Amino acid sequence: MAEIRLRGLTKHFGEVAAVSGLTLEAASGELVALLGPSGCGKTTTLRMVAGFETPTAGRIMLGERDVTEVAPERRNCGMVFQHYALFPHLTAAQNVAFGLEMRQVSRSEIARRVAAILERVGLGGLEGRFPRQLSGGQQQRTALARALVINPSVLLLDEPLANLDAKLREEMRFYIRSLQREFGITTLYVTHDQAEALVLADRVAVMMDGVLRQFDAPEEIYHRPRSAAVAAFIGLTNLLPGRVASRSKDALVVETPAGHVRGRGVTGLGPGARAVVSIRPEHIDLDGDAAGPPDSADGPNRLRGVVAERTFLGAITDFRIDVGGGVLVRVQGRGSAAHRAGDRVVVSFAEDTAWAVPADEGRPAADRAAGER
Amino acid sequence: MAVLARGEIAPGRAPARDAARHLLVAPVAVLLFGFFVLPYLNLLVISTMTPSPTAAYLRIFTLSNYTRIAGDAFTWGVILHTLEIGVLTTVIALAVSYPLAYHLARAPRARKGLLMALVISPLLVGVLIRTYGWMILLQDTGLINQALAALGLRALPLMYNDLGVMIGLVHVFIPFMVLAIAGPIRGIDPELELAARSLGAGFWRTFWRVTFPLSVPGVVAGTILVFVLTISSYVIPSLLGGFKVLTVPILVIRTITELFNWPGGSAFAILFFAITIAVLWAYLRALGRAAHPAA
Amino acid sequence: MVKSGERRWLALAAAVLYVFLLAPVVIVVIAALNSGTYLRFPPEGLSLRWFQSFAHSRTMVRSFKFSVELAAIVTAIATVIGTTASLWLVRFSGRFRTVMRLMMIAPIAVPGILTGIALLIYFYAIGWGKSGGLWELVVGHTLICIPYVVLIVSAVLVRFDRSLEEAARNLGAGPLVTFRRVTLPLIKGAVISGAIFAFVTSYDEFNISLLLHGIGTVPLPIELFDYLRFSFDPTLAVAGTISIAMAVLVVLITERLVGLEALYLG
Repeated sequence: MAEIRLRGLTKHFGEVAAVSGLTLEAASGELVALLGPSGCGKTTTLRMVAGFETPTAGRIMLGERDVTEVAPERRNCGMVFQHYALFPHLTAAQNVAFGLEMRQVSRSEIARRVAAILERVGLGGLEGRFPRQLSGGQQQRTALARALVINPSVLLLDEPLANLDAKLREEMRFYIRSLQREFGITTLYVTHDQAEALVLADRVAVMMDGVLRQFDAPEEIYHRPRSAAVAAFIGLTNLLPGRVASRSKDALVVETPAGHVRGRGVTGLGPGARAVVSIRPEHIDLDGDAAGPPDSADGPNRLRGVVAERTFLGAITDFRIDVGGGVLVRVQGRGSAAHRAGDRVVVSFAEDTAWAVPADEGRPAADRAAGER
Repeated sequence: MAVLARGEIAPGRAPARDAARHLLVAPVAVLLFGFFVLPYLNLLVISTMTPSPTAAYLRIFTLSNYTRIAGDAFTWGVILHTLEIGVLTTVIALAVSYPLAYHLARAPRARKGLLMALVISPLLVGVLIRTYGWMILLQDTGLINQALAALGLRALPLMYNDLGVMIGLVHVFIPFMVLAIAGPIRGIDPELELAARSLGAGFWRTFWRVTFPLSVPGVVAGTILVFVLTISSYVIPSLLGGFKVLTVPILVIRTITELFNWPGGSAFAILFFAITIAVLWAYLRALGRAAHPAA
Repeated sequence: MVKSGERRWLALAAAVLYVFLLAPVVIVVIAALNSGTYLRFPPEGLSLRWFQSFAHSRTMVRSFKFSVELAAIVTAIATVIGTTASLWLVRFSGRFRTVMRLMMIAPIAVPGILTGIALLIYFYAIGWGKSGGLWELVVGHTLICIPYVVLIVSAVLVRFDRSLEEAARNLGAGPLVTFRRVTLPLIKGAVISGAIFAFVTSYDEFNISLLLHGIGTVPLPIELFDYLRFSFDPTLAVAGTISIAMAVLVVLITERLVGLEALYLG
């Protein structure tokens, strides 16, 4: 299987830079998710790899082959489109056979391979159906079969689950993952759904405004984001703006409006730097403030506050805690459901769950803190 | 086609690929330029040539073709009469088509196909055939007068006059008007009308304050289309008017095919086209003023 | 929504208008099947004598054949170049899109009589007009048939999902194979429908034919017009009935292939 290498890939639409200087590698057999909000350039990137858009600058390598100027039909990329793009005038089997016919494969060979792959994706018996006679999930699997049957050198998936209902989406995530592993095919997977990216990908490339912001394994992206923007985009988090007070080898202390926070942080974040501390709501403990003397509440990473809002979410309960200094801290947990709005509480979190990143230039990170999803 | 295929192999190498793509439009572009734009330009030129009894025209520049028409009371009478028929036909067609368009636009989905077919099929039967049908109905010994006679009533002159011409014209242009108006009406959210009714407006008030204003673009398009088609129609005024009703197209065709005065006919046709555009311009201005009284 | 009382009035008005719209058309069919020369009430009985009379009229049959031949040539040309032009208009046109779009519709927006006159004088100026008239008529008719093909085909192309073509390219089909295997099968309905409209438009065309026809090349509408000016027997009604039958077919096929509502009401 071929690896995918993008070198300084850039695409301008008129004045607008959809993708700027994107450099990225997907190793052979790896599944890389291109993740970002809509308009971040991830789909444009995929379309350039497929050959539907011509890069303004940069190179695209599939294996040892430079395909930057190769027509789409000669790239041998399997692609699954967002709306599947199944040919409505052809049956499921004819759709799957299309790519093989284009490759001049013999009739008997086509019949054999189409039957095999349809069986593999669980569509045996439905080969004679037209796309409109298939359910959303079945269409999705037909599209996958059509892309895989040609033995493509790479697989490109454009938001393949965006049009399925929530339950089916979850099922298909694992299905796509296992299929990809089985075929061992290098895959680019475009999505705006961070959960999807974290579950599926070997590595996640977070794109914003046409620029690659971070390219790492899912755990790294989630626990050790490189910037406030990535931290805010991935999952739910509290972002406390402040200034680095001191730094030892591992730990650092950040002065925030709500008090001092001890945590870990991005290398290179020295004393005096403007920083944002990210603390995930599920890493925060909530305790009543009534017990014990007032002083006992204070300590490293212990903040006093008042429950401003409490929302029952089923398995967990969501709190917004006013910790003073104009900071609302979001807390989610199972054990602390007893607290009510107006209760005085203490929030606390372990040192290794607070993660400091440099403050984004010119963008007030606090505004995009906890409240966002 | 081979060129097209070669151009496509290297996507984005713009010049070759774009040139090949433009081959798609080339035949139509050539046809339109060579046999539509040029003939009209030529028409303009010919209208300033000197007519001649022995040749199609003499290549001598003159404006007399225009000045002669401009100073001729008889010609102006025909022009005014043509415009009068145009305005009357348009107004009647609008009054008749509006309810039909409303009915069509708000018809249940299942019945819409049939109703559309009823509106469109007359459009597909040649004008000549429909006019023939009207002649059977309207002539002095036609079906309508037969029926009147059977009832002991006097026969009515329904044909070879303005009335017959306008019946034929209204009939021919109803489908155009209906289609132009039904589009915008279909785009009006029925809930707007319900909202007006719930706020206490009666049927007519709802119609005049909500439905009609929102359908005005269709009405404007429809009236312009019908007016232009009416004043330039030839078959219906000739046949249902029996050459007793004179309109500009009849006069122009006569000048060209019977008097063989091509420059004169061309000048007349161009002049009338200009008058038509002036009338439409005045109409649109009047509409604009009605919409923004302050301005 | 209209209250039921008003709705009933509206339905009644609509019904009266539909009768008005269809009356002359129905009358023509009745006249063709009526045995008498004049239509009277009660009708004098069914007969096919006027169909025979039509078949025996040499000028009528010749004009009918000529009109069909002319319409066939025009349809073939207008459909092919109109479809490719629609593709260009929807897919590739850049700066000149608005101008070209207006230009393509213009022939049905300006008075046909005027176009006829302009073409007559132009053909004379460039030295055509001696070849017997067929090609002059083909050009004139093609001009006014192209707008219909373009309107119908581009209406469907605009809604066409481009990712289907991308999928085909992705699976290894070149641009021409993609057009033949994916695009064309999916816009086939619109193309056929455009062709039918072109045929009927040419078959019924009057204004341009009036000015461009030659001695051996008289399309049926011109023949009927001359006939109507001087005589009045139901042989004409037969020609009309053929035309009406064609119209009914067209409506049925179009509704089937494209949907009349989508076509006319956007």
